[in-house]
Amino acid sequence: MLFFRSEDLVDTWCEARGIERRPLVTIPQLWELAVAWYSTRLSAEARRPGPDEMRRIFARIGLDDPFWDPQADAFG
Amino acid sequence: MDFDTRVKEKVYHHFASTGSAPTPSQLAQQLSCSSSDVREAFGRLQRNRVLLLERDGGTIRMAPPFSAIPTPHRVVIGQQEYFANCAWDALGIAAALHRAAVVHSSCGQSGAPLRLEVGLDGPEPSDWLFHCQVPAVRWWVDLVFT
Repeated sequence: MLFFRSEDLVDTWCEARGIERRPLVTIPQLWELAVAWYSTRLSAEARRPGPDEMRRIFARIGLDDPFWDPQADAFG
Repeated sequence: MDFDTRVKEKVYHHFASTGSAPTPSQLAQQLSCSSSDVREAFGRLQRNRVLLLERDGGTIRMAPPFSAIPTPHRVVIGQQEYFANCAWDALGIAAALHRAAVVHSSCGQSGAPLRLEVGLDGPEPSDWLFHCQVPAVRWWVDLVFT
C-alpha cells in the first residue's frame, strides 16, 4: 500500500513487476478510509470494520470494484 | 472491561504516547499480572486481527495503524515521531490521534519525497495517489506484504 506521484508512475511500477494495476485511490478518499478505520482505534470499544461495514465504507466513497470486497470470490 | 481489552488499550496508549510498542513485562507491571498473561493476551489479540506479532509471540510488530519498526511512512505529530505500516496507515495515525500531523513518505516508483500536512479535517489538497496491490479479501493472509 504505497503512495505514488502520478498514474503513469503506478503503471510503471506495476509493469516492472508484471502485475495488474488495481483501482486508484485519491488522497481525499484515503483520508475517508483512514477515518473510518482508525478514528476510534484508541477507545476500548474499538474494533475493525466487519465485511458488511467494509463494503458500505468503500461504496460510500466510490470504491465499488470487487477488489475492495472482503469476501470476493474472484480474489479468494 | 475484560483483560484482553485492557491489554489492547494499554498497547495503543503506549504507542500513542511513545511511538513504540510496549513489551509484555512493561504491560505486566501496569496491569499487575505476569508477562505470560500478557503474552497469551497478545496471542488472542493477534487471532482477532488486532495485533500482528513477531515469530517469538511476545514482540508486537504492528498495532495498526502503528508500526513497531521503522518504515518509509513516517508521521510527525508535535515532537513525537511515529511509523505507519503503509500509506493508508500514515493517514490513519493522524485520524487515530485526532491531531494535526505531517506525513513523510515517498513515491513507490520514483522515490520522490512526499510531505503531506494533515489537519483535523483532513489532508491539504494533493494530487498524489494511493495504490494497493493486494485485494481486500487477502489483506490478512500476509499483512506485512499487504
